[in-house]
Amino acid sequence: MNPEAKELRTEEMVLNVGPQHPSTHGVLRLLVTLAGEEVLEVVPHVGYLHTGFEKTMEHRTYHQNITYTPRMDYLHSFAHDLAYALSVEKLLGAEVPPRAQVIRVILNELSRIASHLVFVGTGLLDLGALTPFFYAFRERETVLDLFEWVTGQRFHHNYIRIGGLKEDLPEEFVPELKKFLDTFDHRVDDYQGLFVGSPIFEARARGVGVIPPEVAIAYGLTGGSLRASGVNYDVRKAYPYSGYDTYDFEVPLGTNGDTWDRMVIRLLEMRESARIIRQALERLEPGPIRDPNPHFSFPPKELLATSMEALIFHFKLATEGFEVPPGEAYVPTESARGELGYYVVSDGGSMPYRVKVRAPSFVNLQSLPVAAKGHQFADLVAILASLDPVMGDVDR
Amino acid sequence: MTRRERAIAYAEEHELTYEDRHSLLHIVLPLSSLKAHMRAFKAMGFNYLANVTGIDYLEYPEPKPERFAVVYELVSLPGWKDGDGSRIYPRVYVPEDRPRLASVVDLWPSANWPEREVFDLLGLVFEGHPDLRKILTPEELEAHPLRKDFPLGETPTLFKDGRYIDPEAFRAGLKGKDKGLTGWRGGRRKGERR
Repeated sequence: MNPEAKELRTEEMVLNVGPQHPSTHGVLRLLVTLAGEEVLEVVPHVGYLHTGFEKTMEHRTYHQNITYTPRMDYLHSFAHDLAYALSVEKLLGAEVPPRAQVIRVILNELSRIASHLVFVGTGLLDLGALTPFFYAFRERETVLDLFEWVTGQRFHHNYIRIGGLKEDLPEEFVPELKKFLDTFDHRVDDYQGLFVGSPIFEARARGVGVIPPEVAIAYGLTGGSLRASGVNYDVRKAYPYSGYDTYDFEVPLGTNGDTWDRMVIRLLEMRESARIIRQALERLEPGPIRDPNPHFSFPPKELLATSMEALIFHFKLATEGFEVPPGEAYVPTESARGELGYYVVSDGGSMPYRVKVRAPSFVNLQSLPVAAKGHQFADLVAILASLDPVMGDVDR
Repeated sequence: MTRRERAIAYAEEHELTYEDRHSLLHIVLPLSSLKAHMRAFKAMGFNYLANVTGIDYLEYPEPKPERFAVVYELVSLPGWKDGDGSRIYPRVYVPEDRPRLASVVDLWPSANWPEREVFDLLGLVFEGHPDLRKILTPEELEAHPLRKDFPLGETPTLFKDGRYIDPEAFRAGLKGKDKGLTGWRGGRRKGERR
C-alpha cells in the first residue's frame, strides 16, 4: 500500500441499528462496525421481547400453556402448538387419532405457507421491492381467514389439545381450502415472476452473504437457511412426526448458500406445502379428533348435559389439569424457520417442571455476524431478511 | 453400527451411567472430565450441537446428584456426508456452591448463544466461553429468573382504587398452597418443598 492510499483510509465507525428499525423484523439491535460502507463486525443484541414464557409456563397447567406457545413465533404459530403438544403427548403416552393427525398436518402446512408469504413479502420489501409485499399479503389474508374459520383466531390459534384437537373442522372449511389451493400454485408462479430473474434482485442477492455448509452446521443453522447451503436436513423427513413420512413431498435444496438461494428456497417450499395439503385432504376421513382417555382429554361437549362422569372429568381437567408422569421429553419438529422442539421436564404434577424451547430463530441468528462480514452495509439488511428470524421466537 | 450405539459403547467403556427413556439417550458425564468426553463425541461424528438446556432441580421430588443440570443435544446431522441422524443427550450435574463448567463453544460454535442463555437465566458460568454476557434479561437485573427460588409475579402492583396486589399472596394462589388473593386454589404441585 503506498503512503497516499494510507492517508485515504476511512476511519472506522460504530453504527447502531435498531432496536426499532423497520428492517430488523421485530425488535433487534445491531452494533455494526463500518469502514466506509464495508461491514467489519456485527454484534447483535437481543432480548428486547423477552417475556419469560419459560418461567411462566412452569406455573400454568399443561393445557393453559397452549395459550403461550403460539405467542413466541407469531408467524408460524401452529408449529409451536404442535411441538409443545408432541412433547407432552410423548410423556403421557397419548395416541392422536388419524383424523386429528391429518388436520394437524393441514393446518401446520397452511401456517407455514402464511409464514413464508410474510418472509417473501417483507424480505423483498427490505430490498426495496414494494409490489411483492402486497401480493404476498393478499394470499396470506386468505390463509388467515381460513384459520379464523377453523380456530376462531388468526394468529394465536389455541386449537391443539394434548392428545388431539379442540373441535372438528367446520363444514365449509374443506371446499374453501380447495378453492385456495386451486389458485395457489398459479400465485406462486406470479411471485416468482416478480423477482426471480430480475437483474436488480440478481445483483442484490447473488453471492451475497454466502454461508458454506460446514459453517452453517457449525453455527447451528437449520431450516430453509441450512438447506440453501445444500444440506439435506428437514425434520419432517429425518425424524418424521404426525405422519409426515407417509406424504410424498420434495425437500428443495440450494447450491450456493447465498441470499438468492435462501429467498428462492422458501418459494419452492410453499409449493411443497400445498402438495402436502392436497394429499392430506384426500385422507380426511370422519373419525374421532381426540384421544378418548378421559384423564387428559376433555369429554365431548354434548355429554356434559347427560353424563355425571363426563362433568366430573371436565371439572377436574378445567380446574387442576391432569398429571403427567415424571420424565423428560423432546420431539424435534420442522417450523418455517428450522428445527423447533420443546424440552419438557415433568415432576409428576399438573404443571411442567421446566420447559425449554429450542427456538430456531435464536440459534439461526448467531450466523448473521459470520454471513455479513465483509459485505456492504445495505447487504446486511438483505442477509438479515434472508435468515428469516422472528424476534418473538428469538427472545421468548 | 450407528453413532448412537457407538455412544452407548463409549459410555460403557468409560463407566458412565446412561439411560434411554422416551427415546432420549441421556449420558451422565462427570463435571471434571466434561470437555474430554464432549471432544470424544465430536470425534465420533456428532457434528451438530442443537441445544443446551439448563435445569434447576431444587424442587424436584426425585433426588438428583446436584442442584443444576445442563443437558446438551448432539446430532449427527442427517443429510450431510455420513450423518446418520443419531441424537444423544449428554448431561452434566453442576453443584450449587460452585456453578461453573467448561464451555464447548470451541468444539461447536453454535453453543455460543445457548450457553449465554443458560448463564443469563440460571447463573451457571461457562469457563472458556469467548463472550459470556447476559443475553435475554435487562442489564440491570442482577438475578437468574429460571432458578426455582426466583419468584414469579414479584412486582407489587398498586391499583387506582387503592387495591394493592401483594406478590407473596398472589403467588400462593397460583401455586395452590393456599387460596391466595384470587380465591382460586391452583393446580396441585407434587414435590413442593416450601
